[in-house]
Order: sequence, then C-alpha cells, then structure tokens
Amino acid sequence: MIQHSNSVQTNGQMALPPWRSRVLFVLLLAGLGGLLVRGIYLQGIHNDFLQQKGAARYSREIDINAHRGMISDRNGERLAISTPVESIWVSPQDVEATPKQVMQLALILGMNAEELRKRMFDTSRDFIYLKRQLPPEQAEKVVRLGISGVSLKREYRRYYPGGEVTSHLLGFTDVDDNGQEGIELALQSKLGGKAGSQRVIKDRRGHIVEDVASVRAPKEGSDIALSLDSKIQFLAFREIQQAVEQHKAKAGSIVVLDAKSGEVLALANWPSYNPNNRGKPNVNLLRNHAVTDLFEPGSTMKPFTVAAALELGKVTPNTIINTEHGVYAVGGRKIHDTHPEASLTVAQVIQKSSNVGASKIALSMKPEQFWHSLNENGFGSQTGCEFPGEAAGRLRDFAKWRPIEQATMSYGNGISVNLLQLARAYTVFANSGVMKTVTLLKQETPTVGVQVYSATTAHAVRDMLEMVVKPGGTAPLAQITGYRVAGKTGTAHKLEGGQYVNKYVASFVGLAPASNPRLIVAVMINEPGGAEYYGGQVAAPAFSNVMGASLRLLNVPNDAPLDNVMQPTPADLIAEEV
Amino acid sequence: MTNATLGAPRRVMADHDTVLAWIIAALLALGLVMVYSASIATAEAGKFTGYQPAYYLIRHATFILVGLLAGIVVFQVPTQTWQKLAPYLFLFGVVLLILVLIPGVGRAVNGSRRWLSLFVINLQPSELMKLFAVLYAADYAVRKGAVKDSLSKAFIPMFSVMALVGTLLLLEPDMGAFVVICAIAMGTLWLGGFNLKIFGGLIIALPVAFAALILSSPYRMQRVIGFMDPWSDPYGKGYQLSHALIAFGRGEWLGVGLGASVEKLFYLPEAHTDFLLAVIAEELGFFGVSAVIVLFGWLIVRAFSIGRQAAMVERLFAALVAQGIAVWLGVQAMINIGVNMGVLPTKGLTLPFLSFGGSGVVVNCIAIAVLLRIDYENRRVARGLPI
Repeated sequence: MIQHSNSVQTNGQMALPPWRSRVLFVLLLAGLGGLLVRGIYLQGIHNDFLQQKGAARYSREIDINAHRGMISDRNGERLAISTPVESIWVSPQDVEATPKQVMQLALILGMNAEELRKRMFDTSRDFIYLKRQLPPEQAEKVVRLGISGVSLKREYRRYYPGGEVTSHLLGFTDVDDNGQEGIELALQSKLGGKAGSQRVIKDRRGHIVEDVASVRAPKEGSDIALSLDSKIQFLAFREIQQAVEQHKAKAGSIVVLDAKSGEVLALANWPSYNPNNRGKPNVNLLRNHAVTDLFEPGSTMKPFTVAAALELGKVTPNTIINTEHGVYAVGGRKIHDTHPEASLTVAQVIQKSSNVGASKIALSMKPEQFWHSLNENGFGSQTGCEFPGEAAGRLRDFAKWRPIEQATMSYGNGISVNLLQLARAYTVFANSGVMKTVTLLKQETPTVGVQVYSATTAHAVRDMLEMVVKPGGTAPLAQITGYRVAGKTGTAHKLEGGQYVNKYVASFVGLAPASNPRLIVAVMINEPGGAEYYGGQVAAPAFSNVMGASLRLLNVPNDAPLDNVMQPTPADLIAEEV
Repeated sequence: MTNATLGAPRRVMADHDTVLAWIIAALLALGLVMVYSASIATAEAGKFTGYQPAYYLIRHATFILVGLLAGIVVFQVPTQTWQKLAPYLFLFGVVLLILVLIPGVGRAVNGSRRWLSLFVINLQPSELMKLFAVLYAADYAVRKGAVKDSLSKAFIPMFSVMALVGTLLLLEPDMGAFVVICAIAMGTLWLGGFNLKIFGGLIIALPVAFAALILSSPYRMQRVIGFMDPWSDPYGKGYQLSHALIAFGRGEWLGVGLGASVEKLFYLPEAHTDFLLAVIAEELGFFGVSAVIVLFGWLIVRAFSIGRQAAMVERLFAALVAQGIAVWLGVQAMINIGVNMGVLPTKGLTLPFLSFGGSGVVVNCIAIAVLLRIDYENRRVARGLPI
C-alpha cells in the first residue's frame, strides 16, 4: 500500500504516506519520553535542592513555652501556679473574615468591633496579638468561628491562690511569664525554665499542618518550696491588717521566723494588692516594706547594746546604772526618760526601756567594740535572703561617731534596719548566741549560723526580755496564755528631712516559748494615727495574737500554766522611752 | 483473515477498542481522585465554594458523567456525518470565539475572557474549537488532496483560517489553545502528505512567528522569563512554577502519600486545574507521574494505530481525524506536563481528562467517542459489514 507522495491520484482520492505518520508518532512519544527523564531528574536527583526550597517556604521553627515552676509553701500548699491559657493572634495578610465574623469575634473577646477590625486588617504588620491569655473555653469559641488567619498560641498564666496575702513575698510575672517582683523575680532562672522549639510545616495561612521534629524540648521550670507556712502567713496577714486599720496607721509589716533555723514562716504587709487582678496596682502598694524599707528601730535595739556590754564584761545583769532621774546630757544634748528613775539594774533598763541607762551602757564601750558587736549581729548589711530590692541596713563607721551618736544608737536612733533584718538579729537570743541566716526557701538540713555572743550572754538577755512583758515592763499586752514570752518594744520618732518629727514607728520583736524559743515574730506599725502609738500598745497585741495562734498551730508544748497572763495594775503601766 | 464462520472461533475480535476505553477510564478516575485531593483545602476555605470541601469533586464528577453520556451519543454518529458537518462546525466554533470576546456575553476570569455563560454551565469555546479544528483540518486535507503541492491552493487558505482563529484566541487571550490548534492543523497537513519543501520552510518560519508573538506582549514575555529561571524571582514571577517544582522534589519516587501534599495548602495556585500534575507528583511521586505519562503514551499508540487501520482501508478522513486527535491530546498533555516540570513557559493549558474543567473534560470525552467510532467502523469494514 506504499504510495509515493508524487504519485498521481487517478481516482481523485489521495493516499497518506505512512512514514509521515511514523515520524509524527515517534516525535510525540519522544516528547513524552523526554518528560519522563525530566521527571526522574526532578524527583530523584534534584529533589534535595527542591525540598530545601520548600522547607524555606513552609517549614518554621516555633517556640514552645516552658511551663513555669510552681511555688509552694513548706507543706506543699500551692502559692503560685501556672494554668494553660490561649492567646489569640493574627497575621493580617492572611485574614479573611466577614463583617459578621468580626462582630462575633469582638463579642467573644469583649473588644470594640471597629478597633478589632482595624487591628485584624493592619497589613503593615505580620503578627498581632488580638487578646492574650484567654481561658481555654473562650479560645475554643474563637476557634469555632473558623476565621482564617486567626490562630491560637498556648501560653501560661500565673495564678496566686493566696491573692493579697502572699503578694508582696511572691511578686508576680508579666504577660510573657517573666518574674517582675519578689520571689518570681529572684528565682526567675529556676522557675522560668527554657522555651523549646519545634519544627513544623505551616500552610500558607500560617496554620500548623504537621509537626516535623522537635528541635529542642522545652526545659520545664523547677518547682520551688518556700520556707513559708501558709497558715501562719494567713494569720500574720490578717493581724497586721487589723492592727494597721485599728490604729489608723499608714502601713504595717510582720515577719515570723523559725527561731531555730532562720526560715521565714510568714512575711506580710498591709496595705497589699491582689496579683490576680491584672490592672497595674499603685506602685506604692507593690513595695514589700518588711524587706525593702528601712526604719529606725528605736528601743528594739537595746537588747543588743546590753548584750555587747555583757559580752565585754562591762556590766552584769545586776549592775546598777545611775539613770540620773531621767535626764542625761551628752555632748550638749540631753537624753530623756519618760519614766524617770534614780537608778536601775541593767535588766531593769531593758524592762523599763530606759534611754539614759542604755546610753550609759553604750558609752561604757569603745566605739569600735560597740560597732563590732552590732556589725557581727548583722546590722548594716543585707540579710542574704536575696529578695529583690532588699535594703541594706545602715550602721555608720565608728570612726566618725560622736559620743552622742554612740549614745542614741544604743536605743535605736541613728541606725536603720529593715524588719527582716531586725527579726534575724533576735535569733541570737533563741540559739544561745548563734545568729541564724534567714532564708525564704525551705531548708531540709539544719542551718548554720554565726556565734555572736556567748550562750551565757544570750540567755541573760533573754531573761531580761521576759521581764518586758510582765507587769512593770513596757509590753504586758504581748503576753500569751500558756507560753512564756521574751520580747522588746520599740517606739521611734520618724525622720523627715533630717529632723525627728512627731510621727512614730511602733514595733515589737519577741520570741516564744521563752524557755526554748520556737518562733520569732517582729511587728512594725508605721505612723499609727490614733491616740496610741507606743510599741507596747500598738504592735504588742498583734505580736501576741500571731505568736499565740502560731504556737498552737504548730503544737508547741506549753511552757507556762494556762493562767500565766498577768493583768498589770495601773501603777505598773509604763510607757517606754521614745 | 478471520474465519469466524468456520470451525470453533478461537478468538472473536471485539467490536470496540477496549484497551483505549480502559486507558481513558484510568485517566478519568485518577483525575477525579486528584482533583478532590488538590482542591479540598482551598474549597473548604473558600467563600466562593461556600466552604464545601467536596465542591470541586461534585462538579468534576458531574462533568465526567456528562462527558460519558455525550460520548455515548456521539458514538452513534457515523464518521461520514462528521466529515459533512466539519466546515459548518468550524464556522460555528469561530462564531463562539467571537461571542466570547463580546463584553457581557463572555466571562473573564483572571484577566482572560474565555468563558460563555450558558444557564448554569460556563462553556469554554476554545476547548470545543480544538475538536472542530481536528475535523475541519482532516476534511480540508481530504478535499485539497489533489492540490497538495500548491502553496496558494493547499497552504494559504489554511493559514488564513488559522490566522483568523489565532487572532480570536490571542484576544482572549488563550495562547495555549492556539498552540494546540496550530499543532493540529500542521500535523494534519503533514499527515495528509502536503508538500515537503513548504513544510521545510514552515519549520523555519513558525518559530520566528512565535518568537514575534512572545516579544510583542509583556504578559507573554513575563511568562516565558518566569519559566527560564523561577528561582531568580521565586516570590514574584517564578512563584507558581517554583512551587510546582518543589512539589515534584518533595514527591520523590513514591510520593508523600495521597492527601499529604503541602503545596496544595494555598501555596500552589491552580492546583486542581493547570497544576494538577504537580500535586500528583508530590502525593504519588514519580510513580504517579510516570503512570500519567505512560497512559498518555499508550493513548497516542492506540490513536495512531486506529488511524493507520483507517488509512489502510482508505478511509482517509477517519485516518486523519484519529491521528489529529492523537496530536491534539498528545501535544496538550505534553505542554501541560512540560509546564509543570518547568521546561515550557506557563500556558494556561489543562491536562486532558485529569484537570478540573467542565468544557475540557466533556470535549475530551467526545473526542474519544469519535475515536472509538472510527475504530468501530474500521472493524465493521474489516469484517465486510456495512458501516
């Protein structure tokens, strides 16, 4: 049937040259064959390059937030916990939402629809949070709207079950889960852990479609057990609040220490704030006054003056001091006692809180001797509890002391402390002269300390401190049913602009049971505004309530009969020196 | 020679080319599955689709059904009837191509005016025109058989017609359809035994003409440059192609698995139409891609075989139509695959039988029905039966 192209078509028909068909056929199949080869090249040889290009387009490394460690008290009671929440974010380029969807979203988020719309469609940005830290149920509603370009991010929100009771100690975290104040800030590196990352494939709208690999697992934050006892903390908080309100004071602080270990069992201030309310509280409310503020301790310093002199052998508890009928001139200035006496024993100087007596005892020592003793007892330095912003106390260099300064320092003027530091100093009277380091963390092993005084001196002063709360002392209101109490009142004029003014800081620091002290409670009331402003009147009752309840809570055995509280006769009521 | 009437028949020749039917069934089935897979994400997220994941699946299945029904009807039409109707159908096609350009009648999508709105269905005249071009070119070649060496009588009239159709198609613009129709016309004249020297001249002239066409339009120019090096501007001109190539690379030999494509997740535009093969490549790997290529190759083998059988029994029109269909489907498939693989500039051509698109699938089915009819008639002739 082969016919040549130039053959004559006699019947008006034509023939199709088969070779041309074959050429076309081969060309077509060759084309397909070439494409097969190209396919092999793309899919079997060049694929690594192409996959890299692909990965660059849709593979992303995303952060996985680490779970922040829990803060608990010494008994495992939760004080700060992180709960999972969802943050809503958009990439405005990818947002596709109907006006109705925007309205619904605004409703769920509680935002202004118009403002929300502006943010969602702000194409100048790649990433915008619409709302952070939503409860999961609410986030679920957002997801159900199914708006493309709107995504969730898992975050953790801090919750403080204790609210305002523990807020000053714990502090709080910011929206990015970083500690901002208090323990949260101090132990950020432990609590915070380390965010991990994960390689994922995202579709063009930013949704994760596949987890490829975990690049780095998040390092979860560690849990922290504080030395705090939340029951005592609650008691302390309630009492300090009540004392401040009752005495119309500006503020108040309270510290409860384990007398043996130096662990802080409670630390509270009033006024306080609730860290669970996200609105920024007043900056003044954030201050943990007990640690970050200094005050002149007043007469609560006297035991240390006496202890220093006893230690140096300058006096004995029964040494008679001529108290000059209440007026004593040093370097042109006069020191007064509000309760003048001709003479007092050293023990009575403490009991009746005689400024003249304390001054004379202080002046019996060389400045460096007195300074050295105070310094060893931790005055003028930080406590080492590592609380952020702790104020170091002030103890001036003895070389610059004038006699009047040495004298006034003996009763706590011209020297300043923070309340935690003052409480720590009192641990010497509970541990036979050993000062314990204070700590906010639960201690599993017995703590060490520094021997500041001999046991004899420490016990002698503790005996004197016991007299303070007895009739004839400055703080009978500090007595506790069933327990012996040793303590000291303090009432100091406040310094304003370098001048002492008629505003007071009333304080009381005490130990109980006095026979074998278990707790130390230090109370400080700043500017009592009522008629009463003495430490024995304002601070001692709060001390008594907290100490008594705490001892009973800890099942500390009584060391006194249950009818031990003695009501002072009016003649016995004495006001301390200020 | 068959001797069915004598003795025990060892093998009875079938009435139809069942192999061809199975090839088409395989292509249609693969296309249906892959259109669904490629479109599910965009359909679910699209307002246009009413957020129905099966939006494209339902429509594509409907088109296939319509195509098969149309095929059954068309199969009843004798080849001779097509030959008689060929010039009129071609004229009808030209009218449709003019209509589509009239604003308000033709519908524009993505800057191309390619669709006519007919009640519920959008008709794409250029798809119909491909079939009409096959029929017209075959009839033309048969009619001009006596003057096939004359430039003025055999070539010039065809060129004039092609120039008209080409102008109309480029106004849409639909460069891809024009290339396919040119290939059909040239292929048919070549097969018809038209003068070799003139063909030699055309082989030189045509590339020059195409180059001129490309250089004359920034739109076409841009597409050509994008294909040369997609990585020079992967987020701009090379965006679509770079994503198609990434899909091939990700698929490797056996693919990432059906449904597991990432490229179809809004990265690769036209994943269910022009770039369906890229999704096949990613999900089914080279295994899937080679299956598609082999099926098209086999289709070409069958079509040429049917054409040659027709030629042997001197049914010239049928022979040219059969091979013209092979050229049409083969060239279109090759261009689409080439575009997907980055060896040809982006054309806007679908993959026959597989890509989503009503007009394309239905017209492709009709073409296969015509092919099967030619084969059926060949077998009747071989048995000495009346057509």
